[in-house]
Amino acid sequence: MTARQSIKTIAVNLLAWALVLVISFPLIWMVVTSLRPQSELIRIPPSLIPKGITFEHYARMLWETPFLRYFGNSMILAVSTTALVVLIGTLGAYSLVRFTYRGRETLATLVLFTYLLPSVVLILPLYLLMVKIGLANTLPSLVIAYTTFALPYALWLLRSFMAGIPEDLESAALVDGASRIGAFIDVVLPQALPGIISTALFTFILAWNEYLYALVLVNSDQARPLTTGVMNMLITSFNIEWSLLMAASVMMSIPLIIIFTFLQSHLTRGFGAGGVKG
Amino acid sequence: MTDSQISLRADSLPKASLSLERRYSLLGLLLIAPTVLVLSAVIVYPLCFAIYLSLFSIYTPTLQGSWVGLDNYAQVFGSGTFWFSLFVTLIWTAGTLFLQIVFGVAMAVILNQNIFLRSLARSLVLFPYFISTVVAVLAWRWIFNDLYGILSFILIKIGIIDMPLDFLGSMPNAMVSVIAVGAWKFFPFVVIAVLARLQTIPEQLYEAATMDGAGPIGRFFDITLPQLRDVLTIVILLRAIWDFKEFDLIFLLTGGGPLNNTRTLPLIVYQEAFGLNRMGMAAAYAVAMMLIMLAFMLIYLHRARERPA
Repeated sequence: MTARQSIKTIAVNLLAWALVLVISFPLIWMVVTSLRPQSELIRIPPSLIPKGITFEHYARMLWETPFLRYFGNSMILAVSTTALVVLIGTLGAYSLVRFTYRGRETLATLVLFTYLLPSVVLILPLYLLMVKIGLANTLPSLVIAYTTFALPYALWLLRSFMAGIPEDLESAALVDGASRIGAFIDVVLPQALPGIISTALFTFILAWNEYLYALVLVNSDQARPLTTGVMNMLITSFNIEWSLLMAASVMMSIPLIIIFTFLQSHLTRGFGAGGVKG
Repeated sequence: MTDSQISLRADSLPKASLSLERRYSLLGLLLIAPTVLVLSAVIVYPLCFAIYLSLFSIYTPTLQGSWVGLDNYAQVFGSGTFWFSLFVTLIWTAGTLFLQIVFGVAMAVILNQNIFLRSLARSLVLFPYFISTVVAVLAWRWIFNDLYGILSFILIKIGIIDMPLDFLGSMPNAMVSVIAVGAWKFFPFVVIAVLARLQTIPEQLYEAATMDGAGPIGRFFDITLPQLRDVLTIVILLRAIWDFKEFDLIFLLTGGGPLNNTRTLPLIVYQEAFGLNRMGMAAAYAVAMMLIMLAFMLIYLHRARERPA
């Protein structure tokens, strides 16, 4: 490597990492803030380098706020939405990819169309509906509402994953006398499993992060998920405690960090194409 | 004999399989049935219901209403509120979309180089897209804080300003801040899509261009950008639709303020329905907003069907 080339390499690296640090600064700052003593935060001018580290905000958030209940609600919500949507979506995607019947293409287009619909339009009738059937303020109302965006999303992802599975093995199984359902369970499902898992993880993220439906449909701490719950901590507090809010933000991102490390390889490899199509 | 030969034979089996074919399509319909049922119940029916609602005047807390026909629409299109909000929505969409595309493509090109700890760098760049908008907004509101916020402090330190700025409570700062945070939150989507495409551009194209004497900038404009055209069209359409309907980020950052200067159409729908308790008017705003989006959605559907996943 010539001297000029290595200077260029160093320059590219410096530029790249400088940009990466600027982009991740808000999140780094969030973590730093959550670990600093309260006294350091309300100082003018503020200081960049923390002098001490404390976990008091995390302890207070866990034991003195409804954070854990919100966390539990979010977990129940995201897991049930994901399970429901992936189950229905896997069957539907298999049907869309492997069977021929009238209206199949129209149906596929409609699914894509629903995926683009604004939630703010659907929230009005859904709110009326939930009030009418007495589900308002419950977790099931949110699971139902979340399928409006989660099902088209999961279906579309699964469809592109399944379209990528070669038909040969399935046909061979059919020739060998397997039933269509048998071939689906023994041949298609194992091959589709990585795609199904990624879809489940992405759906979980969507449900975990949802805000608008939760804001409108749930108005009690019993059923409130993290997104509206943490925002409520900001709005209702007389004295905004930023360190507490930052600690809550970090905690609520931890499941996403775990999922993200699983998905990372998919994101930058083959998944990209499917991800673009939504 | 390979699998594909078998499958070829299976496809051309005798015509006696016609009843089998019919059984198959019945099975196909059975498998798609749950999807159709759920989507009809939670999307198609509510959508029709929303259009129906827009013809009524309804008081949200009691849900009592009366038929008003097209009066709501006359009010929506007749007042300046809708047109101003549409203008605000377009500024937000155009501004944030432009930044997302420029930074997204630039970052994808950089992350495609052989940089030190590349996969960590990629994770850090992509992460803002995956966190909740609530978390993103809280982090930024703390950075923007007028008393203890780090951004004003840094800007004063390097001498750009000499007084802490009001980032969210005055214009044009509020719009600029919202656009910037939107770009930060959503540009990783562009990075993901472009990065995946960059990896499939054949290396020979670059080698040939280098031999022809093209520099890095020339190579970017002559090879990379044309190769990215298709993926960028799809990404721009999708992001335009999503940015146009974005609610959480703007609602949580400014709530539409100051003085409704960042109040986009989705925020009006929410305010009409649950702030002013006029459910019918909210539905009319929602339908009007959807009609505008429909143009983009149809173009996208057309493009997406041309090149199926």
